[in-house]
Amino acid sequence: MDFIRFENVEREYHVGGHVIKAVDGISFGIRKGTVNVVLGQSGAGKTTVLNLIGGMDSPTKGRIIVDGQEISSMSEYELTTFRRNKIGFVFQFYNLVPNLTVLENVQLAKEICSDPLDSKEMLIKVGLEHRLDNFPSQISGGEQQRVSIARALAKNPQIVLCDEPTGALDSVTGRKVLRLICDAAYSMGKTVIIVTHNAMIAHMADTVIHMKDGKIAGIEYNDEQMDAEAIVW
Amino acid sequence: MVVHSLFTKSIRDMRKSKVQFISIFIMAVLSVTIVTGLDSMWKTIGEQTDIMYAASEISDMWVNISNPSEKELWSISRTKGVELAEKRFVINALTGLEGRPTLKIYTISRSSRLDRPIIQQGGLKSRGGAIIDSSFAKEHGLKINDTIELKVNGRWTGFKIEGLAMSSEHIYSVKGTTTIIPDPQKYGFIIISEDMLKSIYGQKIYNQVCIKLSAGADAAAVEAEIDKVLGDNLIGIVKRGEDSSTNNVWSNISQFRTLAAIFPLMFFIVTALITQSTMLRLVENQRGQIGILKALGYTKGRILWHYTSYGMYMGLLGAIVGLLLGPNLFGRVLIPWLKLTLADDRILVNYTNFIFSLILILICTGGISLYACLRLLRDSPSMLLRDKPPKEGKHIFLEALPKLWNRMRFSRKLIARNTLRNKLRMAMSIIGITGCTGLVVAALTLTVMVNGIAGHAYETTYKYDQKILLDEKVDSRFIRNIRLDGTVTQIAETAAAVISPDGSRTMKMLSVFPQDSPLIRLTDMDGNLVRLAEDGITITRKLAETLKVKAGDSIQIKRTDGSYVYAPIRQIIYMATGQGIFMTDEYYESMGETFKPTAILVKWNNKPDRAFLQSDNVDEYVDRVSQMKDVKASTRVVYIAAVLLIFMGGILAFVVLYNSSMLNFSERIRDLTTLKVLGFYQKEIRSLVLTENILSVISGSILGVPVGKVIADIIARGLDDQMDLVSRISFQTVAVSGAITLVFALIINGIAARKMKNIDMLESLKSVE
Ligand SMILES: Nc1ncnc2c1ncn2[C@@H]1O[C@H](COP(=O)(O)OP(=O)(O)O)[C@@H](O)[C@H]1O
Ligand SMILES: [Mg+2]
Repeated sequence: MDFIRFENVEREYHVGGHVIKAVDGISFGIRKGTVNVVLGQSGAGKTTVLNLIGGMDSPTKGRIIVDGQEISSMSEYELTTFRRNKIGFVFQFYNLVPNLTVLENVQLAKEICSDPLDSKEMLIKVGLEHRLDNFPSQISGGEQQRVSIARALAKNPQIVLCDEPTGALDSVTGRKVLRLICDAAYSMGKTVIIVTHNAMIAHMADTVIHMKDGKIAGIEYNDEQMDAEAIVW
Repeated sequence: MVVHSLFTKSIRDMRKSKVQFISIFIMAVLSVTIVTGLDSMWKTIGEQTDIMYAASEISDMWVNISNPSEKELWSISRTKGVELAEKRFVINALTGLEGRPTLKIYTISRSSRLDRPIIQQGGLKSRGGAIIDSSFAKEHGLKINDTIELKVNGRWTGFKIEGLAMSSEHIYSVKGTTTIIPDPQKYGFIIISEDMLKSIYGQKIYNQVCIKLSAGADAAAVEAEIDKVLGDNLIGIVKRGEDSSTNNVWSNISQFRTLAAIFPLMFFIVTALITQSTMLRLVENQRGQIGILKALGYTKGRILWHYTSYGMYMGLLGAIVGLLLGPNLFGRVLIPWLKLTLADDRILVNYTNFIFSLILILICTGGISLYACLRLLRDSPSMLLRDKPPKEGKHIFLEALPKLWNRMRFSRKLIARNTLRNKLRMAMSIIGITGCTGLVVAALTLTVMVNGIAGHAYETTYKYDQKILLDEKVDSRFIRNIRLDGTVTQIAETAAAVISPDGSRTMKMLSVFPQDSPLIRLTDMDGNLVRLAEDGITITRKLAETLKVKAGDSIQIKRTDGSYVYAPIRQIIYMATGQGIFMTDEYYESMGETFKPTAILVKWNNKPDRAFLQSDNVDEYVDRVSQMKDVKASTRVVYIAAVLLIFMGGILAFVVLYNSSMLNFSERIRDLTTLKVLGFYQKEIRSLVLTENILSVISGSILGVPVGKVIADIIARGLDDQMDLVSRISFQTVAVSGAITLVFALIINGIAARKMKNIDMLESLKSVE
């Protein structure tokens, strides 16, 4: 049984009389506790897929089932509750709250969910124990992304969604960040979906979903994952 | 063309933040509207009165005298400082018209030069003719050649109306202490010839000398001299500005002057604050563009002017609209409510103050914009082109209290940090809400105060059914002997000349009645019942203020024989309306006078005694209930003012709160989206933004109460000389004002919340703008 399942999902946008099919009738499944990478060029519909899984967007057609719940028919409020308890996000631009310290940014996530993990422990896990009282503007981009990961994990979600998490980082830092995500996910049994347009990341995933023009161009299953650090960019 | 393209840019920028710029515009309009509006009120009243005073050659003082001889007149006109003295006869007379309105009769002779009527139509032609108050005539449908019946010297006499006129002495035309606002239905004036009066009385008769002082004359010295010359013939002297007409005009003028000086201040401040926050954000967001302009070679001055012009346009536009709106809104709407009879209905504008407020508003808009831009222009183009350094978080003082801080929820911490980082925005909201609450409190306090007048006078103080004015021939014994079926209190009400300790002379209302009358219940400031002093006089609080005396001081009161006696002030009482001096009949007699009632107050056991009321012992009678109704009706202008105040308060609250929520919201949209994605409910996110509003609403509401009291006091003090309005901020007033402010705030929060809901969260995640 798939943990996440897309059934003929379509997402249309209406822009100035035109209809853009960002996601054009796709079906696929994702197993629990796996690391998945969604690959494709800019505009392929990757972010849209991720947003659909995360309950930030709803499909115009088709069904999306997550952990046995059909989220495609949920109300705005139910979706928020769903996000609150099940989803952790990591963004390209980190999206930390500038007015909260590193620790507080992680605690903020904790405040709203039912079964949070210890914020400090999460920050230690991402190697930021010496930065707890700093504000986001006082630390580097890589560090900020690590805070963002800690924040996502502290919610103790079942699913971690990462939209181009290394997009704004240099390659060395990016690799570290990716490794962190994968390690954490494996050790904690999370289901991880990472969106990227960089094919190199694909080697460390269980599953690679290729997207093109809103459709699935192919799905690869890796039996042996490469260590993130070993990936050459 | 460069200038042209920059202009296009400003228009586009403004359209993008149209709410903010519309707010600046509205505030500018309001500020200038209030200044020019209030200014136009006193300017119009002031200049129109001056024109009328000049046209009629109004006297500087009027000497009330019992039948002056030629010799006395001659000595008055010979007094140093007197330029011209003329005698005339003045008396109130009942008319035969419906509702028995009163007309004040003035006599005039061919040679009269002072206090002439301002003729609208016709003129005095025949001996039996009359010139009549044009407002009164209009109200009663009287026309030239109509005849009007007046009761003079106990006889009904008909006068042919030959002219319609206005009078400088009737700009604010009130009969006495019982009416507060002029009502041409009930009171007016009529001018008849001296000769006609002679034929009614059978002899030439005068009771007043009108005096014009020569330039630079010392009025007080003239008064003292006249007092000495006339001795016991002098009843009293009224100076211009002391009689109810001129006095009211002046207090109106000074009231609007004070209001115009202080009232608009907070509107200017709010304009400046809104401009500041709007422009700071706009300029900040355009860092890159400024960098490009600089790199392109635009001079600093050009760029500065470009951004300054944003505010300038709004300020200038607002000022022009304010200039059109103010005089029309205030002048055209409010002046008629003051019931002044003015030469014409022109509304005058005080251009000096308009220019002044224009400059002030341009500073508040353009100047502030310039300032906002100057700060950024110090950076070099390359610095500007680089990304804006991310906003820094800062530790705040609350964190020094770890006990408190650690127990706060993070959303609360976030609110605390944000609020303290944007002190300016917070200040703007607080000042706006302070203003709003202040205006509402003032409006309600005024309404409550004015509502209380009628009740205090005709429910708390007076308990009679009817007040019956007696004919001249009736005396105290006669009243006692006729044994009316009811409780009767005899009362003597006269105007008495008094000299206050600082030597100034005035005419004040003197009321004499027996101690412990069940029909008159005097109270002190706190509402406790007080008795009349036995060994001195009792005066009202407002009179004490006017005379600058306190309990224990003595004032001199003129006796009928012309000599002055010292009367110690033993008691200060509170009268809502009808300020004056009170004493017992016994104390009055101990001054060497004879107590002769001018009226009786009656509480009937059964029905009123018709036979007595219709007899010639009675001049006039009035029901307490209808007196109360009159007072209530006459104070309706206050409601209009109150509505206007609440309306302005609403706009102030709306503009300020809407702006601060929108600024707050758009500044933090990324944060809020992040929170939304994390799974914060809409409600929680909304509260994050709107809690700041609630904080400013609460603090503003508290600060607004004293501000409201000050505004109410200023308006109340100027309202009328006869009324003693004490602003008491009651719990209800505060509660209701708080509720009104809160309702405003909730409406705005609702609108802001709806606007927030429409924001697409995905959109704002995509990039760092
Ligand atoms: N809110 C939107 N409105 C209109 N079109 C959109 C919107 N979001 C995405 N699109 C369009 O949908 C397509 C897929 O977008 P997206 O999922 O962001 O692609 P990717 O993340 O793979 O770059 C693009 O063509 C994009 O222009
Ligand atoms: Mg994308």
